[in-house]
Amino acid sequence: MKKLKALYYINQFFAGIGGEEKADVGFSVLEQNKGPAIGIVKYWNGEMEVAKVIACGDNFINNDDNFQSILPEFDKLIEEIKPDVFIAGPAFNAGRYGVACAKVTDYFRKKGIPSVTGMYYENPAVKMYVKDNYIVSTPETAAGMRKTLPVLAKLALKLAKGEKVLAARFEGYLPTGHRYNEYHEDIAAVRVVDMLLAKLKNKPYQTEVPLRNFDLVKPAAKLNETDKIKVALITTGGLVPMGNPDKLKQAFSVDYGKYDITGLTKVSKGHYESIHGGYDTTIADEDPNRLIPLDAAKQLEKDGEIFEVINYFYSTCGVGTNVENATEIGSRIAADLKKQQVNAAFLTST
Amino acid sequence: MKLTRKYYDVKDIVWADKTEFKNNVLSICRQDLQSQVKPFMKNIIDIDFEIVKPGQNTRIIHLLDTICPMIKTSGEAKQYSGFFGDGITVGSGQTNMYRGFTIMESAPLPWEDDSASSGLLYPRDAIMDMTGPVAGFTPFNETLNLVIVYDLAEGKSSAEYDNDIRLCALKISEFLASLTIGLPADEEEVFCNKEVNDKLPNVVFVWQCQNQGVYANTFLYGHPIDNLVPVLLNPNEMLDGCVVSGNYVWPAFKVPTYLHANHPILLELYKKHGHEINFKGVIFSRSHNPSNWHKTRSAEFCVKIARELQADGLIMAWEGGGNAAVDGMLTIQSAEKRGIKTSTVTFEFGGKDGTEGVLLVDDVPEANAVVSGGSIEKAYTLPKVDRVVGGKRMRLNKEMGGYFPLAHEPITFETTTQLYLSGNQSAHGKLFAEQY
Repeated sequence: MKKLKALYYINQFFAGIGGEEKADVGFSVLEQNKGPAIGIVKYWNGEMEVAKVIACGDNFINNDDNFQSILPEFDKLIEEIKPDVFIAGPAFNAGRYGVACAKVTDYFRKKGIPSVTGMYYENPAVKMYVKDNYIVSTPETAAGMRKTLPVLAKLALKLAKGEKVLAARFEGYLPTGHRYNEYHEDIAAVRVVDMLLAKLKNKPYQTEVPLRNFDLVKPAAKLNETDKIKVALITTGGLVPMGNPDKLKQAFSVDYGKYDITGLTKVSKGHYESIHGGYDTTIADEDPNRLIPLDAAKQLEKDGEIFEVINYFYSTCGVGTNVENATEIGSRIAADLKKQQVNAAFLTST
Repeated sequence: MKLTRKYYDVKDIVWADKTEFKNNVLSICRQDLQSQVKPFMKNIIDIDFEIVKPGQNTRIIHLLDTICPMIKTSGEAKQYSGFFGDGITVGSGQTNMYRGFTIMESAPLPWEDDSASSGLLYPRDAIMDMTGPVAGFTPFNETLNLVIVYDLAEGKSSAEYDNDIRLCALKISEFLASLTIGLPADEEEVFCNKEVNDKLPNVVFVWQCQNQGVYANTFLYGHPIDNLVPVLLNPNEMLDGCVVSGNYVWPAFKVPTYLHANHPILLELYKKHGHEINFKGVIFSRSHNPSNWHKTRSAEFCVKIARELQADGLIMAWEGGGNAAVDGMLTIQSAEKRGIKTSTVTFEFGGKDGTEGVLLVDDVPEANAVVSGGSIEKAYTLPKVDRVVGGKRMRLNKEMGGYFPLAHEPITFETTTQLYLSGNQSAHGKLFAEQY
């Protein structure tokens, strides 16, 4: 029977070219197997071989121009070797090597070659690439090579054969975020009690619904009563000048609008509208001050000496906007407010 | 409290001229049942019965509640205490119950504005299949089920329908269970959590049930729980039916009386009692508290009771969707902050493949041991069935004007919210979201 073929990627260090001082070395196809590409073969019981090992310096490949420049070499290898599977790493917790492995794995996968890599779950590359790629879970350092290779080998062989890949907990790869309804061996009552018992005994356990790593935002310090208040008005309720001049998206926002209100004492019906895609905007359009309470703010400005409203309001649509984009939009608004020495803000949400 | 449960296995149900239980076969005479419930049919014109068996290619629709037929055979308290008399404390003595057999209620409760509860709290008729791709969502695809089909009088209030439907079903449950009196049981089990071992961790179970008005309700000793502060129950009280469901709003999440009285988490904790844990009790509370202030207060009460019981561990579970999840998560947070370890079980979202949006409607960083009850955002196609029990047409999507497809035909649901017990938060099922 003809052996299946694996194409293998490693960095300059595992290729024996050198350490940090050789991290700029370019793409090469090695003459012989190196590093993990040697160790992995024995787990395939003769069913698969490493057809070629390719290598790059970690700095070299993490430069995007360099990466683009070697893609034709990858395509040529696919053409020549017709690999049944592509393997990269394992990269453990090495940041640049991790990104390189994941990036290359992702490229080969997109070219239709079943692909797999391996690294520590906290490797920054995991967050970037795990959704669409198989990344075998490894210990933090290369001391875990012996533990990792059988798992990596098994999954690589399975992929090469085109066999069905089972759930993450059976195959040993990091969960990709894809979740499908199935029937467990045990009912939920057994599992929820077992999980509590493990927790009480300080034994390892695995939550079935992953934690959302929360970002804790420290609230700004309280203003002193004597401080002059320079206040900004912000809404996630999608208020824009009629006609939406900035073409803000009504959902899944990626940007915000900043609108000049110099000289106005309110935001008037007919001049502003809400483009928000997640609620009935009728009563917001009837009186836009419901979103941007400029009328009330201007009254406060008139009544008290310590209160000043800045000449712009900020708006975006908080609907279907993912946390990453929302954080980014928020940081940009905050930076712009700081430039204007704003020290307080009203943020209305719908 | 010490409770002996005597189990009587039902192997088959047949129609007969005489109602009796013999050789594990339950023979039922329709007229006997009808005469039992006559006094309670003030807002019901007629009542009929259908037998549904495991493996039958059958769909049950307009499904309201499922009851565990049982009867107390010692002491003055009755099973499902508070409904036909005073709310005498249950949980001690002896109770006879059928195994492998349930009583179900099916009725298309009116959708008219003057009788349905307001807004989103209208009755959504649950659907279950005995066979096929969604049969595993409910444990009742494996039981013999006697379905009571109600013909409701017109123009009555929701509270009137609700009351009659429940009393009829509880009466039939008692009548059928009474047939076991004096017969030898197939098995007996003794439940008692009195003895504790100082070397084992103390564990409590917080069970939080829905209450938002008629049709979205739970009863404790015969009374709705709208004014309830969290209260300590001996687990045996629940085994004797002190909690009864009156919840018809979300088929996926509502917990039937059967599972309150045979709560899977409670039974599992009892199994571990005395050798792995001390099961210190059930803290029973109301979910769907109206504001964050009320929710925090309720969570604090739950945890206060847990601390008084010197709990080391707490299992949190709730009935309902997002609103209830907030109550549950606040309870987890409050417990963990005071050094009580927690685990919980909940349905999840995630869209078609688990990657869309967030998985949980609410969570706290302290909730780090969460069992998946499956995703409700998965599409399922129910195949054509030979027989439908409970009516001819499904009633769906009232808020969008209503949709009434023929119930035996194939139908695809984009989410599982309409499918009985698919939310799996009483932890009865094996359905879960597997990580790939």
